[in-house]
Amino acid sequence: MRPLTLQRLFLQCSLLAVILFVVVVIALKLGAVPVSLYGLGRDLISVLLHQTKALSSDYGMIVIEIRLPRILLAIVVGASLSVAGTSFQALLRNPLADPYVLGVSGGAALGAVLALIVEPHLAMPTWFAALFTPFCAFLGAAATIAAVYFLGRRQGQLDSGTLLLAGIISASFLYAVIMFLMTTLSGRDFRGMAFWLMGDLSSSLQGSLRWVLGIGFFAAAGAIYTTASDLNLLLAGEKEAMHLGVDVRRVRLVVYIAASLLTGLAVSVSGSIGYVGLLVPHVMRLLFGSDHRILLPTAAFGGAIAVVLADTLARTVVAPSELPVGAMTALAGAPLFIYLLRRGSA
Amino acid sequence: MSSSVQTTSELSKVGDASRAASEVRLSVEQVSYAYSANQSQAPLFTLEANSFQARPGEIVAILGPNASGKSTLLKLIAGALEPLSGRVLLDGFVTHTLAPRARAQRIAMVQQDSPLLFPSRAWEFVLQGRHPYGRALRFESKDDVVIARNALAQVGAEHLGDRWMNEISGGERQRVILARALSQQPLLLLLDEPTLHLDIGAQVDLLATLRRLAAENRYTVVVVTHELNLAGEYADKVVLLQKGKSLRVGPPASVYQRDLLEQVFQTSLTIELGPHGRPRVSILPAT
Amino acid sequence: MIRVPQSIHRIVSLAPNLTETIYALGLQDRLVGDTDYCDFPPEAQHKTKVGGAVNPSLEAIAALHPDLVLVTKNLNRLETVQALADLGIPSYATDPHTVDAIIASIARLADLLGAPETGATLSTDLERQLADIHERLASVPPRRVLFIVWTEPLISIGKDTFIADALRHAGAISVIDSSRDWPQVNLEEVVRLQPEFLIFVESHFGAAPHSAEALADLPGWRLLNAVRNRRYATISDAINRPAPRLVSAVEDLARQLHPEAFTEKPQSKDQANPTVSNTLPRGSFFAETFNAPICQEQACAR
Repeated sequence: MRPLTLQRLFLQCSLLAVILFVVVVIALKLGAVPVSLYGLGRDLISVLLHQTKALSSDYGMIVIEIRLPRILLAIVVGASLSVAGTSFQALLRNPLADPYVLGVSGGAALGAVLALIVEPHLAMPTWFAALFTPFCAFLGAAATIAAVYFLGRRQGQLDSGTLLLAGIISASFLYAVIMFLMTTLSGRDFRGMAFWLMGDLSSSLQGSLRWVLGIGFFAAAGAIYTTASDLNLLLAGEKEAMHLGVDVRRVRLVVYIAASLLTGLAVSVSGSIGYVGLLVPHVMRLLFGSDHRILLPTAAFGGAIAVVLADTLARTVVAPSELPVGAMTALAGAPLFIYLLRRGSA
Repeated sequence: MSSSVQTTSELSKVGDASRAASEVRLSVEQVSYAYSANQSQAPLFTLEANSFQARPGEIVAILGPNASGKSTLLKLIAGALEPLSGRVLLDGFVTHTLAPRARAQRIAMVQQDSPLLFPSRAWEFVLQGRHPYGRALRFESKDDVVIARNALAQVGAEHLGDRWMNEISGGERQRVILARALSQQPLLLLLDEPTLHLDIGAQVDLLATLRRLAAENRYTVVVVTHELNLAGEYADKVVLLQKGKSLRVGPPASVYQRDLLEQVFQTSLTIELGPHGRPRVSILPAT
Repeated sequence: MIRVPQSIHRIVSLAPNLTETIYALGLQDRLVGDTDYCDFPPEAQHKTKVGGAVNPSLEAIAALHPDLVLVTKNLNRLETVQALADLGIPSYATDPHTVDAIIASIARLADLLGAPETGATLSTDLERQLADIHERLASVPPRRVLFIVWTEPLISIGKDTFIADALRHAGAISVIDSSRDWPQVNLEEVVRLQPEFLIFVESHFGAAPHSAEALADLPGWRLLNAVRNRRYATISDAINRPAPRLVSAVEDLARQLHPEAFTEKPQSKDQANPTVSNTLPRGSFFAETFNAPICQEQACAR
C-alpha cells in the first residue's frame, strides 16, 4: 500500500526530464546543418552568459536561432496536446477522447485559417497582428468544445458516448469547411495552407507570441493540475465524484476552458498534429498509473519527448527538405494505437 | 406517594423524550419532489411529503416496489437533489445547502458496483474516501493511510488491499466500496440497492456488517431495497413507499402487515414473526 | 485520337495563362468562356465563366459549344479532358517547363488557331526582349536567390519548374536544388546557403503569412544576410503564369537584381501589335501535351 507522495512524483518526473534532455541534445545535433556537440555546448553556455557574438562555428547561430526555438516549440506543443488529451479523457471518462477526436483541433484550425484569410484585410497594430491567429484559433477551439458539449448532452446529462459522436461529427464538418475555404484560395496560397495544416513546427515566432505561448501553457496546465485529485474521482463517475465532495461543475468548467486554451495555442502555431493527445496519456498510464497527480506531469513530458522526436525525424529524413510533422505522428501513432488496442488497454 | 411516583415516571418520560430528541441525527421533514422531462410538461413522477427520523446506530430501510421513489428519496436525503418542499436535516444542517466538501465529510453514499474506466488497486480506491478532507494538490498523509486501512479492516477486506478492483469478485468489490464510504468518516451512510448483484450469502454478509458498523461507529444507515426479508431482519425502521407516497413508517413488525404488503407488492404472501420479533415474509405462488 | 476542327471559332480556356495568351494573340473574340480565376487582362473577367480550373462545370462548357478547349497539365485534370472528349469536345494541352519552350508555344498555338503571322510576331518580340536581357547580363554573374512561395512552412520551387528557368533568364539562380516542384525547405539550410536575394511574389497576401518587413525581426530569418540588408525583390504574380507577361516579369526581376546592367535606358519595345491593346505585355507560349487520347501537337489533324 504505497500512496503517492511528493517524492515519488519528483523522482518520476526527474527521470522523464532526463530523457527529454537527452532527446533534446540529440535533436540539437541533427539537422540540415552539421554541428558538433562540443561546439554546441560551448555555444549554449555563451548564449546563457550573453556572449552571443563569440560563437565557435558559423553554424552556432543557426542552431540557437532556428533549431533550439523549434525544439522548444515542439516541447510546448507536445506537452499542451498531451495534457489536453489527458484532461478530456478524464472528463469524458472515455479513453478515445483527444483534441482531434473531439473536433477541438478542427475548430482551432478553422479559426487559424480564417484569421489568415481575413488578416490582410484588417488594419491592426503590429503587436496584435502576431497574436491574431492564435487568438482566433483559441476562439475556434472554445466555440467547438462548447458546441460539442451541448450536442453531447442527453436528457440534460453529459453522456460520454454521445459526446464523442458529436465531437467526431464536428471534426469532419469543420475540416469540410476548411477544405471549402481553401478552394477559394489561389493555387499558391492553397499549397501553403495545406502544408501548414499537416503540421508544421518551423514557424519563427515573434517575441510576444512566445510569451503568450509560454504563459498560456503554464497557466492552463497549472489550472488543470489543481483539479488533478478531482479528476481521479471523476473517473468513477460524476455522481460518485460529487458524493465524494468534488464540485463537478466547477471542475468541468475549468478543465474544458483550460484544455481548449492548450489546444487552441498548440494548433495555432503548428497546425494539426494528431495522435499525441490520444496516445501519450495511454502510454503514461501504463507506465505510471492513472493517478492524475502524476499522470498530468508525466504526460506533459511524454508529449514533449514524442513531438521532439517526430519533428527531428521530419526534418532529417529527407534533409534538406522536410516532411510534415503530422504525418510522422500519424505513421508512428496508428500502429501504436492498434497495438494498445489489441493488448486490451485502450 | 402515588403522585410522586407518577411525577417521577412522568419526569423520566420527559427525560427519555428529550434525550431521544437530542439524539435524532437525521430528520426528514415533509420532503417532496417532482420530476418531469422538461419544464413545460406535467411531472412524470411525484414524491409526496415524507417524514421520518433516525438516530445514531439505527438502520432505516426504504422499501417499495420498483419506481416507487426510493432512489429519489435517498438522493434527497443525500442532499443531491433539492426538495420541492420540506427539508432534510442532518445534525441540524440542511443537507442540500451544504458545500460538496462539507457534505462529503458527513454523508457517504455507497453506489452499486460501477465499472471503473481505468483499473485501480483496492487501497487506492478506498483512499479516495479521504478526498473531502484534503486540500487541492495535497498528497495523502500517513493518517489518511491509517484511516483507509482501518476502513478495509472493518469490512473484513484488509487482505484485498493490493488487489486490482477488476480482479476481485462482486461481493469483495462491494465491501471495498463500503470501505471507501467508511473512510469518509461520515455520520450518515446511504446505500442504494446494495444487494442487487450479490448472491444470498454476500447479501446477508453485507447487512450483518452494516448492523455491526452502525452499532460500533454510531452511524445512521439508510438502505434502499426491495428485499422484504433482509429489511425485515436487519432494519430498525422501515419506510414503505408506493408510487411516491409513504404508506407507513415504523419498526418492521408494525409495517409488515399482510394486507398492506399485498397491496403494495401486488402478490399473495404470508407473514410470520421470527424468534426476535422480526417478521419473515413468504411469497405464495400464484394460484 | 481526336480530330480538331479546321477553323476554330469558339474557344474555352481552362487556365488563366492560356486566357492571357489568347488576348496577347489578339484572338479574344474567339474566346467564349474562361475560368473564375482568369483575371488578366481585366476584360477577361467579363467573359462567361465556367467555374474553376480544377473543377470546371462541364455543362457550362458544353453549353458554350466550343470548338476547342485549352488546358494545361499543371492546373487541369486529365479527368476533365476525358469527360470533354466523351462529349465530343476536343482539348489542346500545354505544359511548358522552360521559357524558351514557352516562346515556341505561341507560334504553335497561333498556328493551330489559324493566325500564324500574329504568333510569329509575338514570339519574335519576346525572343528579342529576352535576347536584350541576356546581352545586358552577359558579363554579370548570376545572383543566388531564394524564391519564396510560402513562409510558414517555407516552400520554394524546384529546379525543373518554369519558374526556375525564368529565374535563370533573369540572371538569378535558385539556391534550392530539388527535383520536387514545391519543396518544403528547412530554414537552417537556407541560412547555410545564404542567398543574396529573397524573391517575393506580389499577391493579396503579401508574402504570406509574413510581410517582408516583419522578417527582419524574426529569429532565424534575421540570420540571412539578404534580410539584414533588405535585399528583397518583388515581382508581380505574372511570374507564376507561363503566359506572355512572364518575359516582362523576368525583365522586371533582372532590373531589380542587376540594376547596374540596366543603367542606360533601353528602347521601350512598343512595337505595335495591332491586335494587342497597349496594356498587354508581350509574351509567348509553349505547348506540351498530356499523354492522352487527345490532340498530340505534331499529330493534330486539321
